[in-house]
Amino acid sequence: MQQTQSTKWMTHGEAGLMLFFSMAAFVCAFAAAKALDAPFAFHASLAAVASGVASFAIMNRYLDRPASLPPEEINGKPNYNLGPIKFASFMAMFWGIAGFAVGLLIASQLAWPLLNLDLPWTSFGRLRPLHTSAVIFAFGGNVLIATSFYVVQRTCRTRLVGDLAPWFVVLGYNFFIVIAGTGYLLGVTQSKEYAEPEWYADLWLTIVWVVYLVVFVMTLVKRKEPHIFVANWFYLAFIVTIAVLHLGNNPALPVSLLGSKSYIAWAGVQDAMFQWWYGHNAVGFFLTAGFLAIMYYFIPKRAERPVYSYRLSIIHFWSLIFLYIWAGPHHLHYTALPDWTQTLGMTFSIMLWMPSWGGMINGLMTLSGAWDKLRTDPVLRMLVVSVAFYGMSTFEGPLMSIKVVNSLSHYTDWTIGHVHSGALGWVGFVSFGALYCLVPWLWGRKELYSLKLVNWHFWISTIGIVLYISAMWVSGILQGLMWRAYTSLGFLEYSFIETVEAMHPFYVIRAAGGALFLIGALIMAYNLWMTVRVGEAEVQSTVALQPAE
Amino acid sequence: MKAILIVHNIASDLVTSVWTPIFVGLFIAIVIYALWPRNQAVFDQASRMPLRED
Repeated sequence: MQQTQSTKWMTHGEAGLMLFFSMAAFVCAFAAAKALDAPFAFHASLAAVASGVASFAIMNRYLDRPASLPPEEINGKPNYNLGPIKFASFMAMFWGIAGFAVGLLIASQLAWPLLNLDLPWTSFGRLRPLHTSAVIFAFGGNVLIATSFYVVQRTCRTRLVGDLAPWFVVLGYNFFIVIAGTGYLLGVTQSKEYAEPEWYADLWLTIVWVVYLVVFVMTLVKRKEPHIFVANWFYLAFIVTIAVLHLGNNPALPVSLLGSKSYIAWAGVQDAMFQWWYGHNAVGFFLTAGFLAIMYYFIPKRAERPVYSYRLSIIHFWSLIFLYIWAGPHHLHYTALPDWTQTLGMTFSIMLWMPSWGGMINGLMTLSGAWDKLRTDPVLRMLVVSVAFYGMSTFEGPLMSIKVVNSLSHYTDWTIGHVHSGALGWVGFVSFGALYCLVPWLWGRKELYSLKLVNWHFWISTIGIVLYISAMWVSGILQGLMWRAYTSLGFLEYSFIETVEAMHPFYVIRAAGGALFLIGALIMAYNLWMTVRVGEAEVQSTVALQPAE
Repeated sequence: MKAILIVHNIASDLVTSVWTPIFVGLFIAIVIYALWPRNQAVFDQASRMPLRED
């Protein structure tokens, strides 16, 4: 560490990554030239260009930087690494709007099928995974990466591990999103819900995710705080479990190393079970554990109150971990899956109600002594309402996992409504709240550009969600009842097309709800943009208030 | 098929062998740790971690 500043050397990471990306550029260019199908050629070309750009960017960064890497501490204070977090926050907002917009488009397609445009690339079948992946993995994933990198640094009071590694994670993850999303439009899919990307995208994500895990864990290891804050436990559970799920659900054999098509190792009912073990734990560990981590940091911070019960946070964390992993079979009620497995999935889903509400109670009660802030602070209101939606959808979920209820609800719009009360109300709102907190902190702004606009966002989006989920409840139950209605002679009372026709008004209401949600997000993007552009800079107290230790 | 059988065997071995009592024991130990009165002071401090400024 006492080296002179005169000689500047590339770090192992810089040299190694430059070498890796230079070689990758050639390999990908070769693969593009030899590709067996057009989408693969397109993706290989994208990868070749991205690798080349990455290699140049590393070189430029090296030439521009001073001889020594950024210090761990400045004036005795941790020198937090905020660059990758800023990028991920920006991308979260970008993908969020893209994902909500595609959602609105496919909702409109269901109401007015003409909007499919009779083109393969714009058909519902291809746009639907684009929507789900954009909102879950692109929007949600970037929010999780951004907040996890922020929270782990702040609560460990140490700089993020690695110089290029955090950038590799955020850029590599977003490149994965581009590959996955463009692939769907071009018809590249392995047809596993929420795990549609083909083998090469999966492999790339594996590399990125392992680096993410290493950066996160090594930052925890060098923490200055003896205690690991509960939010970090949730983030760690999210990162580790997603790695396991991704590997478990995606072992595929490519037809050729130069083509996009592959075949999955699992077959028949085992494949279905693996798929929904993955699918439901993606809900449990991506959409729940990760966002609970956000709740445990951002609600106390914004409300300026301690976590209501730290004991409860430990117990409900471990209950979630031990129970969630078994709940997947409730997606396969009344299928070829053995009956005992279905009952097992149902039982664990019902048990999950307790730890879920443990989290909800802990989040809501953190407001003790600060309830008045709900009136004046729309950001906090957004965070708190998200927890209320979490409580509501984690009550509805176990209910729907009960086999008798499921026999009515399964394959109907009720499921779509349930998912969206969790996705829009819980994941969406807690992410919005976190971004509203994070952006002023990251860019050193005193406060948001406009709290009034946050208020507008809150109400417009809330009305949108209510329209969405109530329309889907009515349409789902109507649909389920119509499917199972028999005449006195024992014939089905309604043909399938009659049930489709009956859905139309609710599909229009749902699209209206989605449009409101999108408008809210556009207001948010404008507000955040103005916060960064014209927001009042926070008074730099770092030097003045430094205690003489 | 072979891979499925291997995974199946590992999974059923895990569940039916000692792992169920081990996991249950582990969970009970965690609950005791969380409720242990002496740990209250640490938890009280930890619950304020987001509020701390450096």
